[in-house]
Parts: sequence; structure tokens; C-alpha cells
Amino acid sequence: MQVWQEFRGNTGGLVGAAFIVALVVASLVAPLVVDQAGLDVVTATGSPLEPPSGRFWLGTDESGRSILLLTFWGARVSLLVGFAATLLSVLVGTLVGVVSAHFGGWVSAVLMRVTDFFLVLPALVLAAVLMAVLPKSMWTLILAIGATSWPTTARLVRAQTLAVEGRPYIERSKALGGGHAHVIGKHVLPSVLPLVFANTTLVVGGSIIAESTLAFLGMAGPEISWGSMLDRANSSGAVTAGAWWYLLPPGVMIVLVVLSFTLVGRALETVLNPRLKGDR
Amino acid sequence: MTSPPPLLELRNLGVTYRSAAGDVHAVRGVDLTLDKGETLGIAGESGSGKSTVAASVLRLLPKSATVTGEVLLDGENVADMRWGRLRAVRWSEAAVVFQGAMHALNPVQRIGRQIAEPIRLHGTVAGDAADPSEAPGESGAPAGHTAPSEAEVDARVRELLAQVDLPPSKARSYPHELSGGQKQRVMIAMALACRPRLLIADEPTTALDVVVQAQVLDLLGGLVAEQGIGLMFITHDLSVLASTCRRIAVMYRGEVVESGAAKDVIAAPGHEHTKALAGAFPTVGDPLSRYAPATTAPLPETTGPDPEAPVLLSARDLRVHFRDRTGATVPAVAGVDLDVRAGEIVALVGQSGSGKTTLARTLLGLQRPTSGSVRHDGEPLPTSTSALRAYRRRVQLVLQDPSSALNPRHTVYESVAEGPRIHGLDGDERERVVAALEAAELRPAEDFLPRLPHELSGGQRQRVVIAGALALEPDVLVADEPVASLDASVRGEILGLLLRLRARLGLAALVITHDLGLAWNIADRVAVMYRGELVEVGDVEQVLLRPQHDYTRSLLDALPAATADDR
Repeated sequence: MQVWQEFRGNTGGLVGAAFIVALVVASLVAPLVVDQAGLDVVTATGSPLEPPSGRFWLGTDESGRSILLLTFWGARVSLLVGFAATLLSVLVGTLVGVVSAHFGGWVSAVLMRVTDFFLVLPALVLAAVLMAVLPKSMWTLILAIGATSWPTTARLVRAQTLAVEGRPYIERSKALGGGHAHVIGKHVLPSVLPLVFANTTLVVGGSIIAESTLAFLGMAGPEISWGSMLDRANSSGAVTAGAWWYLLPPGVMIVLVVLSFTLVGRALETVLNPRLKGDR
Repeated sequence: MTSPPPLLELRNLGVTYRSAAGDVHAVRGVDLTLDKGETLGIAGESGSGKSTVAASVLRLLPKSATVTGEVLLDGENVADMRWGRLRAVRWSEAAVVFQGAMHALNPVQRIGRQIAEPIRLHGTVAGDAADPSEAPGESGAPAGHTAPSEAEVDARVRELLAQVDLPPSKARSYPHELSGGQKQRVMIAMALACRPRLLIADEPTTALDVVVQAQVLDLLGGLVAEQGIGLMFITHDLSVLASTCRRIAVMYRGEVVESGAAKDVIAAPGHEHTKALAGAFPTVGDPLSRYAPATTAPLPETTGPDPEAPVLLSARDLRVHFRDRTGATVPAVAGVDLDVRAGEIVALVGQSGSGKTTLARTLLGLQRPTSGSVRHDGEPLPTSTSALRAYRRRVQLVLQDPSSALNPRHTVYESVAEGPRIHGLDGDERERVVAALEAAELRPAEDFLPRLPHELSGGQRQRVVIAGALALEPDVLVADEPVASLDASVRGEILGLLLRLRARLGLAALVITHDLGLAWNIADRVAVMYRGELVEVGDVEQVLLRPQHDYTRSLLDALPAATADDR
């Protein structure tokens, strides 16, 4: 495929994609290769805050669990929240964007005012409120992140849809007798989706950061994620104890994953958006 | 040195573009000369290299171009000029009126400032107006001039606006506040800002209406006569050249295939290509071109309309109003009565903004009328979605620009099959698509099925659009400027196709155009639209040869006459 041909030429995007694929595979096989007893506070074998050693490569946390194991396991929740929240946000955003641009008039006016409302709302505060009102769990977290990140997608999709709707072939399609579903399905979505896809990869990175932020603020469920690791490291006094091995692994992983998604997203954008291609 | 060198001399000019697909020889062995106060027209269709010739004069070509041969400006080779000298020459000795005035102006700057830009850059305000040859380019580098004062610049801008017949107050306007013709005048004023001695006009009137075009041509002609400027005029429209230029050179595939005095070239074209160009702009009133667009395929015998044929499409007191930004109502269509009979070709003529496209959209049911009625086959136009869909099978649309009327991601097959799929027509889809392509004279149809729009030529794309309409077996085609964006040689073929479709399928057509020659070429009846109203409707011969309404007369008067004797 031509997109892949061009994407291959972008080294940054390729490295990012390789890292993401490796991490996703690792997270999927994690339950099969990891002894889950090591994750339980009760059955943990190490002593609290052990520095890195031959037995625990990245040391232990305040309950004696292996940091390496926790970081490895934490990727599951971080990635799941990242992907699920993105899916939610992209679905809502695409729907709102396409519908508002296609129908125009008061439909567009209402939808765009709602979008603007969510756009100006401080995302962190909204998410915090949602987490406080709804039961604390991973799914609430996903809902909170998804609800705050869709407006940008909606704006982007709306702009792109408007550009496509202005093309004469849409007029021709209507003159041929095509209804709303036909015009959207046959002409609008195929030309909007590639950009949505590129945008999606960027949203994933943002969602993972949001998850870590909320978890660090103690607003996540009991699952082990990179954000909650940082939260516990902070609250258990690991920072003052100088236990750098507790803080660094989850922090570096967050940076690496978000960087990878950004690299892939930027690369896809350059490949798929003809306007950006000309400048290179 | 016995006589001064000519203002511009091209000697064996060749331009080659390097591209991924190999070298493209855009211009080959072109020799041209132009003297002070002379007018030289360069004609040719897109891709003939005429704009490349213009760009090579001021070395405005992209980096991928290699120039061979010589471009001598006042005997000085442009290729040998140093950067500073070239900058001084640009605009102060030779200036360009670019095509597409809509896009060549900066939308966020006032007109006055844009006209003043070259004056400030070159600092050439003080020169004697009487002697344009003295002021520019004396010291070589523009930086060497003393900057003109604000008052001087303002005075010069006012003077330039007066020269192009614009009121001085327009200097405070932004480009979007001006009409197309006014923008084109601003472009000319900009080109004149530094009193150049050579003016290169690249398709300066292509996007303009006939009436405005006539004004701009008059203006250019007057400037040449008054100020002794050398004018190089580039266009695809031979009739425009005939009325502005004394000499014409016709380019085809990068070479000058014919050149000579304008009268001779137009009256007795020697080269095949010149004939095609000349045929694309028929003289209204010439019986040879009546029902005979320039085409190579045989045309059907045309007997003229059958006055007894049933009325297929009719509009009665049709009105469409829009609201502008301030909330005021703007009537786009103001009480139109129009009939299209079975098997009849009606031309709807008018300048841009006259409401012809809105009328067409309303007839197609794409725009809801404010009041009045549209009837098809005696039945009023339905309003429900499903009934409208059925109606759309009968009345089909052909758009102006075929390159944007086709989805670039869809193959020819998908584009043509789109209509039948929407309507769920029974029968073999492939058979239907092939038949439609054959009817649109794309043969062999099988070869075109998997192609994408960008692999087709302009004429082929327009045929695909027509095939897409034919696949629904309509009885009326509404064609909005069907040949306006096509090359001269293709124009006749598409118009011939419309005539043949009418003869073979009895297809009626409403052709919207600004081109009176097109109406003369194919239409039975013509309706002239002006400010939302039909001011004159009748048989082509009657309306175009014995116009009753003043507006029709002014349209006909604005047609460039093929005589250059008065210049």
C-alpha cells in the first residue's frame, strides 16, 4: 500500500510504531508469563524499598513488590485506558463533526455550542468531578477522559467535512439522487477517516497522560498503572527516602509511550495530509 | 549599431523541466520579437508552453527548469543579469499581469498598499511621467534610490487608479470588496506602478465576463497606444487576440506553429491547431458554425426545434431569495418563466452573478424555491425525499469543472455506477455502465473502467460525468458551463456530443453559459438572464441577430470583434 511505502520512509514514525507494537504484545502476553503472586502486597517476597539488585533488577516498592514487575503490569492498564478513552473520544468526535458539518443550520449551531462548552471546560476538573460522582473504577476513568477529549476531534472532523462537502462531486452525487447516508458513507467518510486516524494516534498519547495525571492525583481505581505507581511512590515517602528506582521506571515509560504515539501520529499526518507533504 | 535593439527578443528559446517521469520539453526553439508600442499575442491551449515563455522573460521559472537560447531585453541577455540587476529590471522595465486576479492579490491588505508595494521597493515615483523610459533601473540596484515620500507614493497610487478608471477611494478597499473586473484593473495598475516598458499579460481576462472583458481589453489597448508600452498578451481565446493584438503567434506543444499579422492568422489559419482554436470561438451570425461546433466526428442533421413537442421542464414565476450577512433579502432568481421542450437545447446566457446557476439548481431540486413552481412533464416538483429521488432520474446535472466533479478516489466504473446504485436499477450494472460510457463516446469503454480521474484528460473526465448522468437514462440534462474549463480543441467535441445525444436519444438540454458563441453553436433557443430575470427569450437566430433588449445588445457588442484595423 502506498501509505505504508511513504510511512516507511519516516524513521521516527517507524521507531515509534515498533515500540508501540512491542509494548502491546508484551501487555497481551503478560498474564501468561508473569507470576501474579508477585503483584499482591500479601505474597510479595522482597523487603520494602530495596535498591536494584540481582534479584530485583529495578528494586522494590514500599510493600516489597518488584518494580520491574509492576511497571510491566502497569502498561496493561495505561494502554487499555489510553486506547478505550481514545476510541470513545474519536467515535463521539467524528459523529458530532460529520453530522454538524453535513446538516449545517441549527443542527450545526447546537452541536458546536455543546462542543465549545466542553472545549472551554477545564478537562482535569471535569474529570475529577466525574471520578468523584461516579464509582471509582478504570471504566469511570475512561469515561472521564473520553468526555473531555472529544471536542478537538469534533472540530477537526467538522473542518475537514466542510472542505469535502464543498467539492462539486458532492453536488453531483446529490443530483444523482444520493441521500444523506449515501453522501456521508460514500464520499465524506472515506476522505475524512485518514485524518481522523492520524489524529487518533495523537489522542492516545494525550489520554495516557491524562490517565497518569488522574491516577497520580489519587482519582483512579485500585488497578496498578504507571500513574498510581507514581502516586504511591509519592505518598509512601519513597521520594524523600531517595528511592529513585521507584519513580524513574513508570515516569520514563510514560514519556516513551507518549513520545512513540506522537511520532507515529505526526508521521501519519505527513503521509495522509497532502497539504503538509508539500512543505517537506 | 544602426537601429536600436527591439524591446524584447527571444532567440531559439528552449525550456526543459526535469520531472520524475523524465525531461519535459515545455518550450522548443521559440523566436519572437516585440518592439515599443507593439502588441504581440501568444495563443495556445493549456500545456502549449505559452505561460512558460512569459515566465522565462523575467526568469520567474521554477528551479527544475533549464533554459537554453537567449532572452534579450533591450539587447541585454536576461540570463546574464546579476541578481540585483534582475530585481531592478523586474517590474521597473517589464511587469506581469498575472492570471486569476482573485488569487494574485493579498486578501488582508488594502488595495492602495499593494499598488504602492513595487513603488516603495523600486523607489521610482519621481520620474517624469512624460518619459517612462528614463525613470527605472538607472543605477542597477533598487537600494540605491532615495525612498519616495508618503505623499508622493499616495499621489502616484491615485494617478495609477485613475489610469485604470477606478475612483481614488478604492485605495482604501480590501480585495474582497471589489468585483472581478475591478480586481483585474488593480492588477494592471500594479503592473504599471513602476512605468514598465514591457507588459506581459497572462490570461488577464479568462475569468471575466464578456462585458468586463471588453472593458479590460479597451484599457490595455489604450495604455499601449498612449504610453508606447510593448504588450505581450497570452490567452487561449483567439478572438480576444484578434481585437487587441497586431501580431499573433500560435503555440502548440512548445513550438510556435504559426505567426503573422492578426488579421491573416484569424482569417486564413494555416495550421490544424490554429483552425481548432479559431473554431472554438465561432462568430455569432456565421451560418457555417450554426449547429456545427468544431468537431472531428460527424454531426447529425439538425432541423431545428419541433415547436409541437411537449414541454418537459417548466418554471413559472420562479423566485429564489437568499439572505446576506446583514439579514437583507437578495433575490437571486426574480420571477422566471422558462420552458424546455422534449428534444430541445436551450441556452441560458448571462454574466456571473445573474442567477443562472441558482436557477439551474432550483430546476434540479437542489435548491428550494421561495415561491413559484417547477413542473416536470406536467407534474409539480415533489418535495418528499423519495419522490425527489425519483425525479432526479429524469433530470440530470453536468457540472462545469470535470476535474472536481469526480471523486478522486473513485474509478470511472464506480463514478458511473453511482447513480444506478443509488436508484437500485435492475439489470446488469456492468452492462449499464459500459453502455453509458459508449454513449458518451468513450471507446473502448472497457479500457476506461478501472482508471482514476487523474489519469484522464479534461475532455475524458467531462465525458465520464456525462456518462454518469446518462446511466440513469434521463430526459433532460442541465449542463452548467459544460465546456468553460476545457481546452479549445476539446470544447467542440463535447458540444458535438450533446448534439449527437439529442439526435440519438432525444435528450433535451438546458445549457448554462456565459459564451454566446456556444449558444450559436448548439442551442435551439436562448434565454438571456440579467439580475435574476429573463430579459429576452426566443430562437437563437432571433435573439442573437436581432436583439430586442439593451442588455442582450451590450452582451453582443462586448464580443471581441475580429478586426484589429483600428489599432
